[in-house]
Amino acid sequence: MDWFCELLSRCSALFHRRGLDLDLEEEVRTHIDFAVEENLKRGIPAAEARTEALRRFGGLTQTKEEYRMQRGLPFVETLGRDVRYALRQFRRSPGFTLTAVLTLAIGIGGLTAVWSVVEAVLLRPLPFDAPDRLVRLHEGVEHMLEPADLPAPDVIRFARDNQTFTQVGGYISAGFEVSGAGKPFQAKAERITAALLPMLGAQPMAGRVFTQQEDENAAPVALIGYALWRERFQANPKAIGATIDLDRRPYTIIGVMPRTFEFPLDAGRLSQRDMWVPMSFTQDEKQDETDDFQYGAIARLKPGVTLAQARSDVSRMVAAIEALIPPQDGIHLTSDVRFLQEETIHSARPLLTTLLAAAGLILLIACVNLANLLLVRAAGRRRELGVRVALGAARKTILRQLFTESLVLSAVGGALGLALAALLVRMAAVALPDSLPRLGEIAVRLPALLVALGLTALTGILCGWAPAVAGIRPDLIGSLREGAQGAGQSRRQQRMRGTLATVEVSLAMVLLVGSGLFLRSFQNMLSTDPGFEPQHVLTASITLPEHDYVSAQKVDGFSRDLLQQLGTLPQVNSVGVATNIPVIGINSDRNFVPEGYSPRSGQNWLSVSNYFVFGDYFRAMRIPLVEGRYFTPDDDRPDAPLVAIVSQTAARQHWPGVDAVGRKFRMGGAPKSTRPLIMVVGVVGDVRQGALDQAVYPQMYEPLQQSRRQWETEVQLQIPPYRSFHIVLSTASSPMALQATVEKTIHHLDPLLAVSDMQSMEEVVSATEISRRFNTWIVTAFAAIALALSLLGIYGVLAYSVSERGREIAIRMALGSTRQKVLLRTLREALTLAGVGISVGVVAAIGLTRFLSSLLYNVKPLDARAILGAAIVLGFCAMTAALIPARKAASVDPMRALRTE
Amino acid sequence: MGDKSDVLQGTLDLMVLKTLESMGPLHGYGIARRIEQVSGNALTLNQGTIYPALLRLEQRGWIKSAWGVSESNRRAKFYSLSPRGHRQIEEETENWERTAATMARFLAPSS
Repeated sequence: MDWFCELLSRCSALFHRRGLDLDLEEEVRTHIDFAVEENLKRGIPAAEARTEALRRFGGLTQTKEEYRMQRGLPFVETLGRDVRYALRQFRRSPGFTLTAVLTLAIGIGGLTAVWSVVEAVLLRPLPFDAPDRLVRLHEGVEHMLEPADLPAPDVIRFARDNQTFTQVGGYISAGFEVSGAGKPFQAKAERITAALLPMLGAQPMAGRVFTQQEDENAAPVALIGYALWRERFQANPKAIGATIDLDRRPYTIIGVMPRTFEFPLDAGRLSQRDMWVPMSFTQDEKQDETDDFQYGAIARLKPGVTLAQARSDVSRMVAAIEALIPPQDGIHLTSDVRFLQEETIHSARPLLTTLLAAAGLILLIACVNLANLLLVRAAGRRRELGVRVALGAARKTILRQLFTESLVLSAVGGALGLALAALLVRMAAVALPDSLPRLGEIAVRLPALLVALGLTALTGILCGWAPAVAGIRPDLIGSLREGAQGAGQSRRQQRMRGTLATVEVSLAMVLLVGSGLFLRSFQNMLSTDPGFEPQHVLTASITLPEHDYVSAQKVDGFSRDLLQQLGTLPQVNSVGVATNIPVIGINSDRNFVPEGYSPRSGQNWLSVSNYFVFGDYFRAMRIPLVEGRYFTPDDDRPDAPLVAIVSQTAARQHWPGVDAVGRKFRMGGAPKSTRPLIMVVGVVGDVRQGALDQAVYPQMYEPLQQSRRQWETEVQLQIPPYRSFHIVLSTASSPMALQATVEKTIHHLDPLLAVSDMQSMEEVVSATEISRRFNTWIVTAFAAIALALSLLGIYGVLAYSVSERGREIAIRMALGSTRQKVLLRTLREALTLAGVGISVGVVAAIGLTRFLSSLLYNVKPLDARAILGAAIVLGFCAMTAALIPARKAASVDPMRALRTE
Repeated sequence: MGDKSDVLQGTLDLMVLKTLESMGPLHGYGIARRIEQVSGNALTLNQGTIYPALLRLEQRGWIKSAWGVSESNRRAKFYSLSPRGHRQIEEETENWERTAATMARFLAPSS
């Protein structure tokens, strides 16, 4: 209690120092007056009375000093003084200060920004209730399908039969044509079971969620997202209760989800859903045992249940399902349960850890650079410090002041770095690749701030300590003797600075090699042939609402009219539709069995990515024919023989060493399938299914009109027609010029139909390059910063060494050394620094780059060209940076230098 | 109460408090003189040291200060004991007596 009172009073004293000083003055004066008065009374002569009084009082100044120490917080006051001293010092050398502060700001800002992203994406718990108890359920088929999502009936079974979950929620994405709220558009929706939102702890910001009853009875109700509510309903509360048409069926809006709500947490900004509707499994879905592993399932673990228990519970249920499958089919189901958090961040981890490491290296370089700058500065101030020590300044005081100086520098750098981080984070939220989840949540957060502040302080201590030690160690008195010892005395410091510069160079080398690997990967990606020609190709997608296009005849009629009308447009060369297009990353896997295929054990299912095409798809995409023929209009006739075209990889994989044309196969997985045989009539080139840096996958094309005839005759009528198509047009001129015409043509056929994703194939391809482009760009930017910082380091060391050795150089020249020799000598010094740094960097890079391998494409982590390139760039830049001090050294005028020294 | 200066500091503190208790409100010079007199001039005090001590006691809330006018009509700062100061005296006195008794036992001729 007493000490607390004392602290309070000491603190408050800090703020009225002047008034309290005056008080003390007066009190002391009164004291002396009393004493003088008494002395006079005692008969001491007036001349001595005062002296005596002062003697009895003791040292006036000492007393006042002691009083002040007791009064305020001496530590704070000293600090304030030191800070003011430091600021004054910085004002005197703006060049140094600017360089140092910027160096720090870049290091700290970069790391804070990257950390903020990492924190948002990797570290922060998912925005759901008790997210660490949420797991995602997976099911797969042995030898055929890695554990993926679940078939619809299993979502119901798992929810009913499990013993380890409090709740199980299912979901699947769906697209809806939305009309009745402005211009028709294709909305991204998620069908979810009633249990899902309560399980996540998600509440609507207005309205309500749907009930179990509504889910089971297929009630036409919808929850809309905040963005949709703002854009289509002008944030009007009356939107709740309003009706919108989804695929031309009326739905009632029952709630609006908050702005921060996002589900599912798929990667990317574009995956955010516009609305959520009841899952309401259809009868078909409930009975669908055709292994449609597409329904996501999330469950909440019962209290106390471990992941292992949940896993064994799920495999128990899966075993029960497997028991229902005829054993001769040879199907073995597999399953897995993983934490939702882990799964959400899984794919983002390699990139973000790389960025974090890169940012960490930058900060390290920045610290080394700062230490070097402070070191040079401390050396430059040796004389000043020497004078101060000689005049009686305590070493402790000088160390403290140097220490404060570096702390102040860090604080200023830290503040600036924070501002930079705020800017970068704002930019990152826009520029980051869509392959990261939870992008909407990125912001500079308190943890990031704390990390930055911690690093700032640490940097201050680290960088303050080294130069402080160096500044005090040498013989201070000796340093006062004007240049007597010349260069010899600072050799020790020069060596230390050289080492620091070498460290910088080697760190920069690591980043440069990394950046080289990324650049090579990107170059490889750009030079990868997509398998088709994206130039002059326009694409758009449409989905015919089931409500208005019930029969296959109506769907077929629409597509025939569409192709016919689009084909007659001027500027259109060829036009086709397909159920999928390349590079958008969708693999519609289907199983098939070649005729006469005898399954080897452990590999009894073959699958290909499947395209149903109609019209002149191959010519429109310019996919080259390798063998056989393209489809013709004859193939679309109802009685035409069943035909297919396969890609080169599919032909090679499934008919190795023989001509695929003329071979036959059946769709479906089981070897004993009774479906009709289909004949291969052509082989075309492979197209890239996903981004160009992803592996080639085998493809198979069949005429859209034959899609139902591939099934057994008795089920053909039950197979629903394909209603979602991509339209592909090759154009004579710029494809974008045709956009309006194409949309008008479609609306001429159906005025309500939403046309989405209208873009050129070039845009589609370049969209797949965004994330690699970003990765490459940012790693290269980091490397460039590292390069710049390390060059600054080399320059600093050489510039200082030249300025300090002016006398030595002058003597050499006086003794007959030529300017050229001096120049070469300095350059050789730089070359040594850079050479050692590069060598160390190469060794470090060799050890580190293998962690990058998952981010590279067609480049080995030990790519000689990347390493050599980095070494050349760094060596060349180091020489350039050294040229300025080297020329300065060569231009020393021996007479003048010797005279002034 | 580890080292020497602490003991001395504590001593001076108690002397000041005790002085104020017996004399009532007093200015710094008065306190210093009184301590010198009571100690029978055995203690030669640098009078100045009284001021940091007074400040410390005031910071701890044991004494209060106020500007006033002395008998000789001089403006001076008068210090007086606060209620917490009274309690502190009791505590300190007890401490001192205990310490003194312990010391006395050590210094007794038998050892």
